[in-house]
Amino acid sequence: MSQAVTEIVRISGHAGPAPGAGLNREFHVCKLVDTTTCIGCKACEVACLEWNGYPFTETTFDNTYQTMPETAWNYWNLIKFNEHEREDGSTMLLMRKDQCMHCEDPGCLAACPADGAIVQYANGIVDFQEAHCIGCGYCITGCPFNIPKFSPAAHKVFKCTLCSDRVTQGLEPACIKACPTGCLHFGTKPEMKELAETRAKQLREHSGFADAGVYDPPGVGGTHVIYVLHDAKNPELYGGLPKDPHVPISVRLWKGPLKWIGNLALLGGLVGMAFHYMRYGPKKEQEIPADDGRRP
Amino acid sequence: MRSNVASRSASASHEDDMILRYTLGERLNHWFGALTYAYLLITGLAFWSPYFFWLAALVGGGSTARFWHPWFGLAFSASLFWMFKDWRQDMRVDNSDRAWGRVISNYIRNEDDKLPPTTRFNYGQKLFFWGMCYSVILLLLSGVALWYTEALPWSLRYVRYTAILIHASVAFITIGLFLIHVYMSAILEKGSLASMIHGKVTAAWAWTFHRIWYDDLRGASRSKQ
Amino acid sequence: MTNGWIDIKNTDMMLIMGGNPAENHPCGFKWAMEAKRNRNAKLISVDPRFTRTSATADLYVQIRAGTDIAFLGGLIRYAIENDRIAKEYLVNYTNAAFIVKEGFKLPDDGLYSGFDSATATYDKSTWNYEQGGDMSGKAAGVAKSAAAHGGTSAPPSLPPNVAYDLTLQHPRCVFQLLKQQYSRYTPDVVERITGIPQAQFVKAADLFTSVRKDGDMKKVATIIYAVGWTQHTFGTQIIRTAAMIQLLLGNVGRAGGGVNALRGHSNIQGATDMAGLYDSLPGYLKAPIPTDTDLATYLKRITPAESKPTPWGSMNYWSNTPKFVVSLLKALYGDAAKKENEFAFNYIPRADRDYSWTHIWDDMYNGKVKGMFAFGMNGVMIGPDTNKNINALKKADWLVVGEIYPDETSEFWKAPGITPDEQRTINTTVYRLPCAGFAEKDGSMTNSARWVTWKFAAVPPPGEARLDQDIVAQIFLRVRDLYKKEGGKFPDPILNLSWAYADSIHPPLPQVAMEINGKALADLTDPVTKQVIKAGQQLPGFAWLKDDGTTMCGNWIYSGMWTEAGAQIQRRGTEDPSGLGVYPNWAWSWPANRRVLYNRASCNLDGKPWDPERKQVWWNEAAAKWAGNDVPDFKPDSNPKDHLGPFIMNPEGVGRLFAPIGVLADGPFPEHYEPMESPTKNILHPEQSNNPLVKRFKTPFDKLGTPEEYSIVCTTYRLTEHYHYWTKNNPVNVQLIPEPFVEIPVELADEKGIRGTDKIKVISARGTYIAKAFVTRRLKPMMIDGKKVYQIGLPIHQGFRGIAEDEGRDARTPANLLTPSVTDPNAHTPESKGFLVKIEKA
Repeated sequence: MSQAVTEIVRISGHAGPAPGAGLNREFHVCKLVDTTTCIGCKACEVACLEWNGYPFTETTFDNTYQTMPETAWNYWNLIKFNEHEREDGSTMLLMRKDQCMHCEDPGCLAACPADGAIVQYANGIVDFQEAHCIGCGYCITGCPFNIPKFSPAAHKVFKCTLCSDRVTQGLEPACIKACPTGCLHFGTKPEMKELAETRAKQLREHSGFADAGVYDPPGVGGTHVIYVLHDAKNPELYGGLPKDPHVPISVRLWKGPLKWIGNLALLGGLVGMAFHYMRYGPKKEQEIPADDGRRP
Repeated sequence: MRSNVASRSASASHEDDMILRYTLGERLNHWFGALTYAYLLITGLAFWSPYFFWLAALVGGGSTARFWHPWFGLAFSASLFWMFKDWRQDMRVDNSDRAWGRVISNYIRNEDDKLPPTTRFNYGQKLFFWGMCYSVILLLLSGVALWYTEALPWSLRYVRYTAILIHASVAFITIGLFLIHVYMSAILEKGSLASMIHGKVTAAWAWTFHRIWYDDLRGASRSKQ
Repeated sequence: MTNGWIDIKNTDMMLIMGGNPAENHPCGFKWAMEAKRNRNAKLISVDPRFTRTSATADLYVQIRAGTDIAFLGGLIRYAIENDRIAKEYLVNYTNAAFIVKEGFKLPDDGLYSGFDSATATYDKSTWNYEQGGDMSGKAAGVAKSAAAHGGTSAPPSLPPNVAYDLTLQHPRCVFQLLKQQYSRYTPDVVERITGIPQAQFVKAADLFTSVRKDGDMKKVATIIYAVGWTQHTFGTQIIRTAAMIQLLLGNVGRAGGGVNALRGHSNIQGATDMAGLYDSLPGYLKAPIPTDTDLATYLKRITPAESKPTPWGSMNYWSNTPKFVVSLLKALYGDAAKKENEFAFNYIPRADRDYSWTHIWDDMYNGKVKGMFAFGMNGVMIGPDTNKNINALKKADWLVVGEIYPDETSEFWKAPGITPDEQRTINTTVYRLPCAGFAEKDGSMTNSARWVTWKFAAVPPPGEARLDQDIVAQIFLRVRDLYKKEGGKFPDPILNLSWAYADSIHPPLPQVAMEINGKALADLTDPVTKQVIKAGQQLPGFAWLKDDGTTMCGNWIYSGMWTEAGAQIQRRGTEDPSGLGVYPNWAWSWPANRRVLYNRASCNLDGKPWDPERKQVWWNEAAAKWAGNDVPDFKPDSNPKDHLGPFIMNPEGVGRLFAPIGVLADGPFPEHYEPMESPTKNILHPEQSNNPLVKRFKTPFDKLGTPEEYSIVCTTYRLTEHYHYWTKNNPVNVQLIPEPFVEIPVELADEKGIRGTDKIKVISARGTYIAKAFVTRRLKPMMIDGKKVYQIGLPIHQGFRGIAEDEGRDARTPANLLTPSVTDPNAHTPESKGFLVKIEKA
């Protein structure tokens, strides 16, 4: 995105082609959330709220520090808290920033029927286009991470945009900007992947987290938000992060084979009827034979 | 019950050789159902496939379509419930229907004279009727789940997954039924469409396509003689 | 902080105790995370509650609130027993080798020598060093102090020629006394007092002291704390214990080391520096007391003389005290401060007794304080025993509140429980003045790292809101006019107060800052460099201050922040050549732009850094000068051979493991005392369970609960989602944490039949707090000397004014309804962490 703005294709008074023009410099952006250095300060929540201009909504204390049970149409970024007791009896307070994962193979986009309501940019951001959203909620069904949320007032669905508006201008997403501990990073996917793997290795070797690892689920083609987890074998502990997320099989069936079978059947039926009409013609009523006798 | 009333009306107007097949109420309800279904079909197809999304533009755009689709669904269901009330007696499937079904190929080849005689509705019509009835139940149930899909908690997401498949598949079944229905009544079988408009069929038509019904209407008075 | 925020990134080991930086200092906590990420630093979190800091810790240890000295004392014992101490540092940079006077007694029975039970004070004459020079290898008790039981009128002073034993074998040398003192703090005793299982304590102690494994000096550990340590009746002593550990391990003065207080407000360090306490003047000058009849007596009392082993040197920087005092008087009274009138020394009020926070309210309750100005604070909410404070305000004649929101103090008469009928009987006149918020005013802020940073106003104050200094100026000018017109008992200090601002009604803060920095009042010449400062010019630093009235300076430690070269505190240079996070050109740090205090101690005796990777300062033999990435906190040309002590602010020149004479009121070594409300007797000395110096007020509100009736230990804290008592007026913060709650252990909840989100009452001997239960596994029951003890905790933020409060969504009870008005005898901080309560369903 950003390089589309800054990539030079023509230069005044320059002999020959512009340097670099025509080179494919597209890269995939990625947000890295290192849950092991998250302190649950919620700066990302507030930054998200303020950048996107959503107002105060009332919440209720629910025996947790967590602001609300799950993300909302006007609350796209939520730290999920979980008190976890390890086998040795020690306590952990797991905190994971929940938001759209920006899947490489987005279930929301697959499920969406509205022309242009969900787009995937070349940089990997999956973005909802409010103007085109028809509010059907199919994306809710398509998402394996419980992210898109319906606004009853707007009759549309909303979710994290990975601050596509900021990224376009060469800025990092608002949550990244606000994070005080450096638990959030933003860069290209390979960079973030490397950073995440380095951190996971450090956790395995120096912090006694033998199962530390990176969450970049292949079931959805990888994601443009990746996590470092102390315990990558049990992502569910982190506020219900799915272990092996997939676009629901029913959505796959529905948008895949079923669609083509249906469309073919439709076409076949129409052709068949036309053929039938041409071959057999209309059904016509017959004269009631005289010997019917019953005719008055 | 209704058919009896219709029969009596039919016998009363035999002078002009026309038989009343559908009462005004039946016709109005049919067309109410037909129109709501048409709306559902247009909007549903728009939601179904990008190649049909342009259909939404015909009915005020995607958002409007999404808003009204469930309400039209309810209206169509109501219409169908009314049909069920009117016609469920005449739609009973019996052994003669099954016999008719076994030689349906004759019907397809327009060799109607090689078919067993039928009552007010033939086996095909009955299948269409019951197909629609059962489909509407499934569409209604899955439709509600999709209507308020955001109200379903994450723990019940499998309801959504199921609903989406059921709704689409069943809708497709109804589309198939609908197409055959339209083809047969409006194009194939001359006189059918007219009967749903002014309610009457010719005696010949009745004799040709629904002989038992015809006989019932005619024969009922003669057997009393 | 001896060090700074960024410097935490240089550490190898963090002990975070009595503080919760992840929640309360999230921006600064970044550096703790950097240390973990980049250096594999370890983090130990010791807290009554598993906090969000604990969530990032390598080791979490649950401690009973108020038993920190037992834990830290155990740590000292462990370090000594396992030889995980910095020998060279200890001998040369601390008073470990100094010999203590005969007659000094350790508190085996809970009392040091010299206790007078009638007045509950100590005669500190035995808390002193022996004089007499090198005693290495000599038998104990050779030199007897003549002054030990001499004249009582003159306060005892330190001997100039201290007796010492560099082998640390002398039975009365500080090291041996220290060893003896903490030999009682065995892991078993630590477990019985703190509730920390022995194995876990040993694990923590082993981890922390591992930086000195096998005598290696390269690694560094830091200790980080906040008000969880200060808010105890022995708070100052907890911090001293930490300082002692750091001296033992040789961690003070080093990058990534030190004892680091995290301040709870953006500018609380500045408030303290500018004499936030009644008993000090700006720059930590001691306030005059009634016996300081003249300037000379006062200066003699507060100016220390060096006290050290004869062959060693001591810079004893406080010997410059007269320069600081006279320059301050010149800043305060200008031309009215003359040599003839002792620079108007007698204008300064004398601190004849305790005027600290709890005393102000007690005096108001007793009718002695008639009115109050409450600016920049919410008095009803912040202090202990809210009920007492509200009842004190009811008796006041007037109250002026300068605030940005309608707060609990200005609406104390609307507190829950006060009926409309009673409201009519309250005659206190309340003046509420709308003030400017932090973004609406310029000025400087001094952060925990001692950086003085200038900020600019972002927006003008709304409506009728005014800047604090404008309000104060107007009040002052009108009072001065009244004194001019009507005279008074002693108008001089008011009439002669220097008010030389360009606009006297709206004093511009840059001018105030320049006044604090100080300027020359006559032409000055440096005797060595021959540099000349002309009269009227800003001073480059406190080294230029004079005691003859030729300089003025509002606060000597801030001298250098606004020089002729401009406002150093407005600098925004991001260069960090050393990579140690010094950022010497970012803002300005007191003193003299030093980022790490006592940084001479980062080098060995020869002036070479303990860790060549983290070079802060070093002795440059060729130039015969100290050089550094930081400003050396030392005499720049002092050759290491001269053995000048690195702790230049102490008359000894070395760090104090033993705090002699008047340094602390309640003992030269910290001793574990139980909080005033404790579930158990002090197992070390049941007869002297509490700090013997704690005084109690006598109003009907000053009740203490017994463990029989109130068996649960309660502590209070802040949440990351809120800032004290004002973010409850901000919708976003309220959305994050909408209501007050009480964190209680699952086991206690089960016992009481309480479920999460149930409304419960927390009852202390002083009041009842009502909030929803937060049932959690992050607080566990503890075994204290064989008895099961529960701890609970509650955030302090909500009160009876705010968004949720105004909507009636909570019970509108302030947390400090529960806390007692008992204070630390040194810093006068109330004991809000660790008091007794009981709970029941509401």
